[in-house]
Amino acid sequence: MRAFSYSRPRTPEAAVAAFTDAGAGARYIAGGTTLFDLMKLNVEQPNHLVDVSELHGTDLIETSGDVLRFGAGARMADIADDETIKREYPLLAESLWRAASQQLRNMASVGGNLLQRTRCPYFRNGAGGVYPCNKRDPGTGCAAIDGLDRGQAVLGTSDACTAVSPGDWPVALTALDADIVVLGPQGNRTIPIADFYLLPQDTPDREFSLEPGELVIEIRVPKTAAGRASTYHKVRDRESYAFALAAAAVALRIEGGQVRQAHIALGGVATKPWRSREAEAALRGRAPTRENALAAGRAALAGAKAGRHNGFKIHLAANTIADAISIAAERSAS
Amino acid sequence: MTLSSNPDRPRVDARQKVLGEALFAADQRVDNLLHAMTVPASIAKGQIRTIDAAAALEVPGVVRVMTFDDFADIQTTPASRGAYGQPGKGYQPMTGPDIVHRGEPVALVLAETLEAAIEGAESVSVEYDEAVEFTALMEQDGAEEASEVFTRLGHGDAEGAFAGAAHKVDVTYWHPQQHHNPIELISTTALFSEGKLRIFEGTQWSSALAGGLAGMIGLEPQSVRASSPYVGGGFGQKNGIQEQSALVVRAATIMGRPVKLVMPRGQLFHTASYRPRSLHHVRLAADTDGKLAAGLYRTEQQNSRYDGYNPLFGETPPRMYGYPNWAGEDRVIRVDTQTPGHQRAPHEHPSSYATECALDELAHELGMDPVELRLANDTDTDPITGKPYSSRHLAECLRRGARMIDWGRRRQEPGTLRAENGHRIGLGVACGNYKASMSPAIATLRLQANGVCRISLSGHEMGQGLRSVIAAELIEVLGVDPAKLDIRIGDTGLAPQMLTAGSWGTASVAPAARAAALKLRANLVELIGRDDFEGPAHVQLAKTRRPMLKVEIDTVPLGEGPQAIDNLRRGLPVTTGPEYADFMAFSWIAHFAEVHVEPSTGRVRTRRFASVIDCGRVMNRRTTESQVKGGVVWAIGATLREIGETDPRYGRVLNNDLAEYLVPVNADIDWIDVDVIDEPDTRLNLSGVKGAGEVAMVGAAAAIANAVFNATGKRIRHLPIRIEDLL
Repeated sequence: MRAFSYSRPRTPEAAVAAFTDAGAGARYIAGGTTLFDLMKLNVEQPNHLVDVSELHGTDLIETSGDVLRFGAGARMADIADDETIKREYPLLAESLWRAASQQLRNMASVGGNLLQRTRCPYFRNGAGGVYPCNKRDPGTGCAAIDGLDRGQAVLGTSDACTAVSPGDWPVALTALDADIVVLGPQGNRTIPIADFYLLPQDTPDREFSLEPGELVIEIRVPKTAAGRASTYHKVRDRESYAFALAAAAVALRIEGGQVRQAHIALGGVATKPWRSREAEAALRGRAPTRENALAAGRAALAGAKAGRHNGFKIHLAANTIADAISIAAERSAS
Repeated sequence: MTLSSNPDRPRVDARQKVLGEALFAADQRVDNLLHAMTVPASIAKGQIRTIDAAAALEVPGVVRVMTFDDFADIQTTPASRGAYGQPGKGYQPMTGPDIVHRGEPVALVLAETLEAAIEGAESVSVEYDEAVEFTALMEQDGAEEASEVFTRLGHGDAEGAFAGAAHKVDVTYWHPQQHHNPIELISTTALFSEGKLRIFEGTQWSSALAGGLAGMIGLEPQSVRASSPYVGGGFGQKNGIQEQSALVVRAATIMGRPVKLVMPRGQLFHTASYRPRSLHHVRLAADTDGKLAAGLYRTEQQNSRYDGYNPLFGETPPRMYGYPNWAGEDRVIRVDTQTPGHQRAPHEHPSSYATECALDELAHELGMDPVELRLANDTDTDPITGKPYSSRHLAECLRRGARMIDWGRRRQEPGTLRAENGHRIGLGVACGNYKASMSPAIATLRLQANGVCRISLSGHEMGQGLRSVIAAELIEVLGVDPAKLDIRIGDTGLAPQMLTAGSWGTASVAPAARAAALKLRANLVELIGRDDFEGPAHVQLAKTRRPMLKVEIDTVPLGEGPQAIDNLRRGLPVTTGPEYADFMAFSWIAHFAEVHVEPSTGRVRTRRFASVIDCGRVMNRRTTESQVKGGVVWAIGATLREIGETDPRYGRVLNNDLAEYLVPVNADIDWIDVDVIDEPDTRLNLSGVKGAGEVAMVGAAAAIANAVFNATGKRIRHLPIRIEDLL
């Protein structure tokens, strides 16, 4: 870890200005739960940190209008514990409390969580030339593709990178068509979450569609009747404090025993939060039976590509979607 | 005095530990301290060409960067890391330009602050001549099978009996590399005080640390004092001198200032010991009634090129049941890696995993209940030596455990039992044993008329509750108030310190404390001129108008002579067992696991565990139960979670942090029910103690794996058992 300079502005505008002034080596810091790790590992080596944890008015949790509004500085724990969110949008609450640990959720902001970087061990533990990594050091190659790839992605991969997008919250937001409001040197803009994350292709170092200096200000989720019958179902190597091997965010509107509206997104198996229109189409107009749920799960993984040790994730993810559909459907009945 | 059964009692140091008042080695406040940080080798094999420290020296606060030029005269001795007492073995990094394993220290940065030391270490650039080829794993071509064969135990005609038997299994089990990951990191602090070198290090053997380091760096042994005030989890990783110990001591000598190094966890995966991967070929045979006919057991253990860590897998399995014929041998495969070592139930955990799973396979082949198969082959004598066991209540452990887990609901046909939510329920059983050993110990006991009692003796507190064991004997024999008890252990300045490992801590320290207390009581009885007395001893002492009474005592374990005490004083290993003149001595345990397996994902939960232990007299029910629960939790991790993943192209543990090296979390653990036999084994020692810490884990992994088979019908012959194995 290297010495760096530090500033703590009070308004988003001042933060963007501070970032712009500092130049290319600046990073925003909120809860610090990802960035500090990566700094200690020398994956991130910022020369200036703009602390956005005390910006005025960014810890908003607003559930009364047509849109759910979450300030980027709201803590994961606070939204996970919000009674309205737990009741009306269980997939959002579950995606938060099934992530990390209580201590981390108390610190981590939901805006920063969108920008969490991959847990690929070759990426994290390989700085200083230990392992090549196209994401960390563009053009050096990928150690994971021919290596211990049990945790790597099976969807959205490229010849340059198979690193999994690690988040849970972004997967739930992807299922619900969230918008990300950002402030940059050129002012505000709103990015649909589907456009927020980039596939690795041949530039895996570019993970987000943010421009330099752009700061996430707010997350907006259009309200939907499918929110109540929803779940974020996460399968991992232990019961808590672990990243997903496969996860499914599912929200359903069921009428007359048939699925009228389905939102399905996948985590733990793809290089970005993965919306599956195929699974949604397979389920729409059908009863949420086990058989139909499994068919939807299989449809989501139809294009999956296995590596050396991660083939099981294709089967696991399909079953995880099916289980999530069953859980969501049960909530519709209640 | 007759031995009494000990009541449930809180740990004597529980409050201090909870409040953070118990200071560990790296917590000691030292003035004028220099912080050290290592630079780990980024290659697996080769030579250092150049070390450029210029950038590091420009970091504010960095005082000096040391390289192998500074440490070239450190001797590698049988006390060095990896030698395990064997001349010609072992390896001390930074004594020359050669690199023999990934991650070994290649430079030591000294700075006024920890932050500067870390930044300095990251600023050192090292160029290497990397070896063209190296071999990281025992399965690879460059692995070299050592010519020596270890623990070749046998009797009868095992091959012949196996060939002719009616029922048999022939299976191979694989155990992965695993890392201890104690919460207390490994550290060394060295300073000179009153003409003596003082070392603070969380070690299980402070005498060998002091004596061994004196030998490596050329000091008189009596000029070195080592203190290990508390060990925050030893589990065998802190048995001996670490890779950094001599470097820190020498750095303090060169700088003339105290130096402290706390090795970061990421580096410990490569510098500290770990459980090596191993392969276990098991052949078992029985007649149609389930009487065992033969056992054949051949193992391979992955070692470094240079270490003396002998494989001893074959020592305990033939002692579990009445095998009429047995043949076993252990071999070593050498590769370019760091030195493995003892990790809780070092060889007994993997060997019991393999052999107790194989026995479950045999029970299935026989169509016999696995508890019944074990009971049918119970024995009072050791098949290998023909000697009786000093005590063995294994059958009672099995019967009691079966009741606790409600074994009667188990079905022989796998996959039969279902929970309401559709999860498959499996029940599994396995047994374990661990040798009952003892070490000599030296104690000085002082009782004051005001009730204050101080004892200095051999032994290290590693969280197992050794202070509470000592307290139990003093409370029973002298009526001491635990609040007025001052127990001093783990410091060579107070008493010679034995290696505290191998489950012999309590069996060595309890008899020493008891013998000292009995001697003091005898002296007091003589002083007051009566046959005996009731109540606290200090009240009687006060009546004599003497301010205090003091006794010193050496305890020599069964079968040893006065030489044992000399060796203890010199920091040499002295342990007994399992073979004694008239008997063999082991602790025993039976484990029962209930697992639930989710059909759609293959996720396994260990819903219930029942363990019944025969460890002789129980010195403290609470800490004994905690030991067993801890062993079971560890086994749940070892069976379902833990693996050190080495990418053979790099020779480096890929998941070298606690986020990616998965150990169980609270949410993984359900009900663990423990019961104790609590029958003193007085043939072994004065206190009737055998040992609990190691046997607690032995067999527990097999109980889980056997339960997984019972739930799913799948025999997974490797660990950990993960989702992909059961999906």
